[in-house]
Amino acid sequence: MTAIGRDEPGAGTAAHGTGGHGHGGNIFDPELLDRCISCGFCLPACPTYALTKDEGSSPRGRITLMRALETGRLDPDDDRLRKEASFCLGCRACEPVCPAGVQYGHLLESWRDHQWRGRHRPPLAQVLMMVVERTPLVRLIGAVRRPARTRRPADGDVRTAGAGRAATNGRAPRPEQLTLMLGCFERGLFPGVSKAVQKLLPEISVPENQGCCGALHAHNGDSAGGVALAEKLGEELPGVIVTTAGGCAAHLAAVLGRDRVHELSEHLVKAGYEPVGEVTVDDGHGGRRRARVAIQDSCHLRNGLGVSAEPRALLGAVADFVPVAGDGSCCGSAGTYSLLRPRDARRVLDPKLDAVQTAGVDYVVAVNPGCLRQWQTGLARRKSRIRAVHLADLLAAAAAGRRLPTGLPIAARLPTVRLPSGMRVGRGFRLRKDAEAQNTDGWSA
Amino acid sequence: MSVDRSVIRELETIVGAEHVRTDPGDVEPYSRDATPAFRAVPDAVAWPGTAEEVAAILKLATSRRVPVIPRGAGSNLCAATVAERGGIVVVLTRMDKILEVSADELLARVETGVSTAALADTAAAQGLLYAPDPGSRTVSTVGGNVAMCAGGLRGLKYGVTRNYVLGTTVVLPTGEIMKTGGRLWKDVAGYDLTRLLTGSEGTLGVLTELTVALLPMPATSNTGVAYFPTLADAGRAVDAIIGHGIVPATLEFLDAKCIGAVEQYARLGLRDDAGALLLFGDDGAQDVVDRNLERIGEQCTATGAMEVTLAENIARAQALLEARRCSLPALSRLGTMTILEDATVPRPRLAEMVDRIDAIAHAHDVPVATFGHAGDGNLHPTIVVDQHDDAAIKRAHEAFGEVFKAAISMDGTITGEHGVGAAKLPYLIDRLGADQMALLRRIKAAFDPAGILNPGKLGS
Ligand SMILES: Cc1cc2nc3c(=O)[nH]c(=O)nc-3n(C[C@H](O)[C@H](O)[C@H](O)COP(=O)(O)OP(=O)(O)OC[C@H]3O[C@@H](n4cnc5c(N)ncnc54)[C@H](O)[C@@H]3O)c2cc1C
Ligand code: SF4
Ligand code: SF4
Repeated sequence: MTAIGRDEPGAGTAAHGTGGHGHGGNIFDPELLDRCISCGFCLPACPTYALTKDEGSSPRGRITLMRALETGRLDPDDDRLRKEASFCLGCRACEPVCPAGVQYGHLLESWRDHQWRGRHRPPLAQVLMMVVERTPLVRLIGAVRRPARTRRPADGDVRTAGAGRAATNGRAPRPEQLTLMLGCFERGLFPGVSKAVQKLLPEISVPENQGCCGALHAHNGDSAGGVALAEKLGEELPGVIVTTAGGCAAHLAAVLGRDRVHELSEHLVKAGYEPVGEVTVDDGHGGRRRARVAIQDSCHLRNGLGVSAEPRALLGAVADFVPVAGDGSCCGSAGTYSLLRPRDARRVLDPKLDAVQTAGVDYVVAVNPGCLRQWQTGLARRKSRIRAVHLADLLAAAAAGRRLPTGLPIAARLPTVRLPSGMRVGRGFRLRKDAEAQNTDGWSA
Repeated sequence: MSVDRSVIRELETIVGAEHVRTDPGDVEPYSRDATPAFRAVPDAVAWPGTAEEVAAILKLATSRRVPVIPRGAGSNLCAATVAERGGIVVVLTRMDKILEVSADELLARVETGVSTAALADTAAAQGLLYAPDPGSRTVSTVGGNVAMCAGGLRGLKYGVTRNYVLGTTVVLPTGEIMKTGGRLWKDVAGYDLTRLLTGSEGTLGVLTELTVALLPMPATSNTGVAYFPTLADAGRAVDAIIGHGIVPATLEFLDAKCIGAVEQYARLGLRDDAGALLLFGDDGAQDVVDRNLERIGEQCTATGAMEVTLAENIARAQALLEARRCSLPALSRLGTMTILEDATVPRPRLAEMVDRIDAIAHAHDVPVATFGHAGDGNLHPTIVVDQHDDAAIKRAHEAFGEVFKAAISMDGTITGEHGVGAAKLPYLIDRLGADQMALLRRIKAAFDPAGILNPGKLGS
């Protein structure tokens, strides 16, 4: 009898091997955990399974591990449980391919809530979470890096925000209200992106007083904190919130509702924005040719919100869109992943770097600041002439007839300095602007 | 632990320590396959990289009397990879190379851990067709397909995996590495061990390399759909189609409950007022395909179809096929325990069998949904119940016991393609009889004198 049961163990169970440890329980919503029928359809979609070919690093295997944790068959401090909770990219590529509708992203949040409780959270994640929880600190980053700000009296916007709190709670937003969310990291790393958005959407307001959306918390073992921050931001930003960060969009939408949150490309298409201009590059014969551009989807935008056609349509209007195998799969940035597990993040990106190189593109467009940073760092490491840009920058540059930088970024041209002790001055995480890229604020290697 | 430390150390010497795992969290994910009501934790998992490593593992296992369970992608539906007696799960997915695709000879040579879709896509890129097409093709390995003799959606015209295996490299439990068959379509030198190994469910030897037959890619293909008031009407349409000398590539059916579940999942705009849906498809030269689909449509209309439509474009045709592929997972969304069966009857008795299944389910007060390969008489009656409702689960099992009996009484079988594994071993004797069961055990003993390879499954 072939029983596809969601329970376990069920009839016919042969209980061989190690028994349970009597811990666990109440970690996962049983409804969510029960959904998985162990069909294995998710295996080919999972980047970490592709790296290891080990079931334990696949979505199905991780769900088996979660079940063992829930039923107490595995010790909560089991090494592999701990390792897999952090090795998983959280990219949710396993969700759209799952015929049974398993909400893996939610399961992972519950898992990390449990696994990374208290002292078990990676210290770096802890620090980042503390920083973004404190709006003044986040604003300070903004003050130093100068992202977009509404020129009209800022106070007016803040007041609108205050009014919006009452006005929008639980109700459809008024159509004229449109605010831009400044991602915590984006305002520091890529302040030019929000300025580009202002050029594309002049009517958008950019309240200065805004905190973090909480995605960082949700993905790092504090889903309750993640919800609280998202709700707070929902009160700070009235009306429809536009964001240039796919990861933030998915988290915010999950808390505030789909109608209140638009990722930039999604919003532009919905609002009927017609891309203007063209992005060109030197054709090598003294002339210019249309740029060849690949895309890097934002995982949560694609797999969580189902937005992937929009950015392609927009960039295809101003440049030659080049589909590259795997452009929908995770780049390894995955929120804090590239900071917490740099080696694995590189292993995930490497084949994708090969693929864009082979495809012979000029630019890779990202729709999420983390992906942008991951690509810029990866391309620079290879001394590639391909540049990574944010979609907002690409569209704004096309509209303004402005040239985007080409060739090796400054930082990649610098030799790596070797220190006598064998230490190196890395060029990974940099806030410095490229001299060449002065005209497009916020380019960094 | 039945596998002692010294065995593990030898195992590590054979494949390298990084390719052996024994910690509880590392082996837990290998405690099950796509048959979750069966679960057993193995003692170790090993990932060999070559046939020689497989041979060394099997020799070790035979000398130390340790069970070995070969595993591809673990997508089988009959608990064929569950380590019921503990032991070492040997995963073949590291051996996933496509060694050769020959358009001149119409064959491919692959390592067994390659996925079915990867082989099919690589062949397609050279204008060739790898015909076996199980619903799990994106996941399953070619080795797993051959070990299960997987069927699929093209069985009527193209046959099943068995029809495409030309040769194997197999490692016997006693450690010999052997080639059976080869690159030949004609070869009668000796017993047909290639066929014996096909469908042996990992109990006779571990396959490490396969030579499979390819076909020229048909110029075009198309798909259509017909709705009928009842499943029995659809069954009569199938008889009429084949009775008129049309053998299409695909003839699949879904009953009303399946249509509803698939529509809810895939939103293809399927009709919700029909008792059954017949999905038909053919491939070949454009004019032949057009003509065949038209004639199939005529037969459907003649046997009472409510509506017949052809897919207007390739994307739509793909979507319809996808709908059929996802019917099992889509059904599983309806409850918390999905019990699926695989009974098969001679094609002309399909409609009769469907009526029998409905009557049996009704008598046992369980809801049944049936889909399957109409052209092959291969039914997948599926019962979805609440996993906490023990009484319903018991009634479902009783109902299926009768479904098996009904199938056998109609010259059918207990499983058409999903295999026996641990799940259906208790029913096998009803199908084969005591003498054949004894012969199976003697064959098993000839290959595996120590009884270490996938014990508790076929041949046990
Ligand atoms: C949603 C879904 C749809 C499916 N649709 C179909 C379908 O349409 N038709 C069909 O026939 N099946 C179908 N199946 C069942 C399953 O996919 C097939 O049986 C498939 O062939 C199993 O391949 P695998 O690589 O997953 O093998 P596994 O599940 O890993 O192993 C299956 C058996 O093969 C043995 N084995 C694996 N590799 C080797 C090897 N290299 N050497 C020796 N023995 C080996 C194992 O020991 C085991 O006995 C479906 C399954 C699912 C979940
Ligand atoms: S595809 Fe979905 S149901 Fe199937 S194993 Fe993966 S998570 Fe489970
Ligand atoms: S979220 Fe991404 S890495 Fe994690 S299991 Fe799913 S597909 Fe794999």
